[in-house]
Amino acid sequence: MVRLITHNLLACHAKGCTSNNFPLQLKDVQLEQREAEFNPDFLRRFMPKLDWGALVDTARQLGDDSLPLEQPEMFDDDFLRKLHHVLLEVSVEEGAMVCPNCSHIYPISNGIPNMLLAENEIG
Amino acid sequence: MPQTRYLIIFAQAHYDFRIPELLSVAELHGFSIGLPDQPEPTRPYMVVQLEHQDHAILLASRCILIKSVCEFYAQGSSYDELHAAVRSNKQEWIQHQADASFKFTVTGFKCSLPAQKQREIIESFSYMALAGKIDLKTPDIILSVFEEYDSRVANVEGKHEQPNRFKQVYFGRLLVEGTARSLAAKFDVKKRVYYGNTSMEAEISLLMANQTLASSGKLVYDPFMGTGSMAYTVAHFGAQMFGSDIDGRQMRGKEKQAGVFRAAAQYGVAARVVDLCTFDVTHNPWRCGDLFDAIVTDPPYGVRAGAKRLGRKKPPTEKHIASLSSQRVGALRPGDSAPYIPPTKPYELSNLASDLVLLARYLLRPGGRLVFFLPTVNEDYQAVDIRTMLCEGMEVVANSLQDFGSWGRRLITLRKTTNQSYDPPTFEAPSEDVDELDGETAHVPAHKDFREKYFQGFKPAAE
Ligand SMILES: C[S@@+](CC[C@H](N)C(=O)[O-])C[C@H]1O[C@@H](n2cnc3c(N)ncnc32)[C@H](O)[C@@H]1O
Repeated sequence: MVRLITHNLLACHAKGCTSNNFPLQLKDVQLEQREAEFNPDFLRRFMPKLDWGALVDTARQLGDDSLPLEQPEMFDDDFLRKLHHVLLEVSVEEGAMVCPNCSHIYPISNGIPNMLLAENEIG
Repeated sequence: MPQTRYLIIFAQAHYDFRIPELLSVAELHGFSIGLPDQPEPTRPYMVVQLEHQDHAILLASRCILIKSVCEFYAQGSSYDELHAAVRSNKQEWIQHQADASFKFTVTGFKCSLPAQKQREIIESFSYMALAGKIDLKTPDIILSVFEEYDSRVANVEGKHEQPNRFKQVYFGRLLVEGTARSLAAKFDVKKRVYYGNTSMEAEISLLMANQTLASSGKLVYDPFMGTGSMAYTVAHFGAQMFGSDIDGRQMRGKEKQAGVFRAAAQYGVAARVVDLCTFDVTHNPWRCGDLFDAIVTDPPYGVRAGAKRLGRKKPPTEKHIASLSSQRVGALRPGDSAPYIPPTKPYELSNLASDLVLLARYLLRPGGRLVFFLPTVNEDYQAVDIRTMLCEGMEVVANSLQDFGSWGRRLITLRKTTNQSYDPPTFEAPSEDVDELDGETAHVPAHKDFREKYFQGFKPAAE
């Protein structure tokens, strides 16, 4: 269940792939709604760590345009609930994440992404 | 702030973990705890100072090793001494004199006291002139006497026959029973819907969770997740949990829904397991650092679960690498219940430990904690062993031994003391002779090559 919060934190790490390696492109995805705990403190604390552009783009590609393009400066409850939904409740059960730079495919199966590298891809 | 004294009655287990746990729970809740000048953590009773009764209640509700907490009235090395102290501390208990219904309990540590003897002891407190009625079922107050015997006194039966053979006797009013202890039964591995041979026993998983200061709103990570034992306890205390492992099968098991998710659901914390990922922690995909409030883990040390990392013992030739260029992890076979598994090489424990500390410095937020087990050879262990794996910006908070005889594992708690951001580690083992160039030989910690030592039965290697 790769939630978008996780997707927002993972970059391609194949040998030599150090630029344009984030965000990974979601492909052939099967989405599922996941239960998650609404926790405003967690969201507030985590927000500075997010790559906002990547999050909004990815959500839009998956058909969710509830988040504004610019990260707002004030977080009201309505915004936090939308963020909660996008970050933690939209999740990818099956599919793959593909590196925009080197095209490495990271498969996702039963909700667990396989980020292992092949022998020729490690430094 | 005025301090009040409380008597803590510890459970008989893991005494080396008692003080670290008290201090962690106090830090978590933001209060201070006054320990004895020379704490003796092996003893079952400890008198501490706290500002508020609420703090004592918080400790009892979160510390796994607390059996109960009493308001402290007095102690002594004989009953004469004890009674004198009770008399002179009258202000502590006088408010109960007039009308509180009460009951007395008398407990001997490592010694059971016959009913007749207990009655005599209770009667010896008659000078307190408690006017309330005795109520054995629902008393307003429970007054407790604890006799602590030296565990070396062999003859249990005869102990109380010889007057004052006990070390110390304590007296106080029961304030609260420890409620966190029962969590050990809740998280019992054998009752879990998913576990494996690497699962961590429940009580220790709980102690580890307390060392992380887990609470609502925090994010905690286990990079050697396995069957996820610590994820459940950390999530139970409110934190969100992230896990990864080089071997996805450890986290998923055999059913379609991953075992870790099923076990999390059993404990009602599925909503707090953020995600699981398969990767080698030495080749990790984290986009940035400063992410986690804590990292909690039981690293592999090669006994039950191999310590390994991607690569080969002998580096492959360029030609070999070229021939592999079309290989894709997980792509050889559909579904990754049986994915392409890249070759791995052994990962020596002292290198792993230093790497883990560097990784934690990168991934933790300032003030965040790294909590992990380090197995070691008891006879050879030295305090400096821990220093061999530290780096700038990471400081030791606690170091508790779980003793298995010739070996043991130390639960190490470190804190990231720096606000600075550091680069991710390179995970390259330092070359062995670097220090010798400086004219001094590096200290070799007892945990180095732990796996080999374990299988040799901890005998010095044959010449
Ligand atoms: C001692 S077990 C952890 C057990 C876990 N606490 C549990 O409750 O089951 C160590 C785990 O580390 C994993 N491991 C070994 N080498 C690794 C590496 N280089 N990167 C990530 N995980 C690794 C193993 O697959 C194993 O599941």
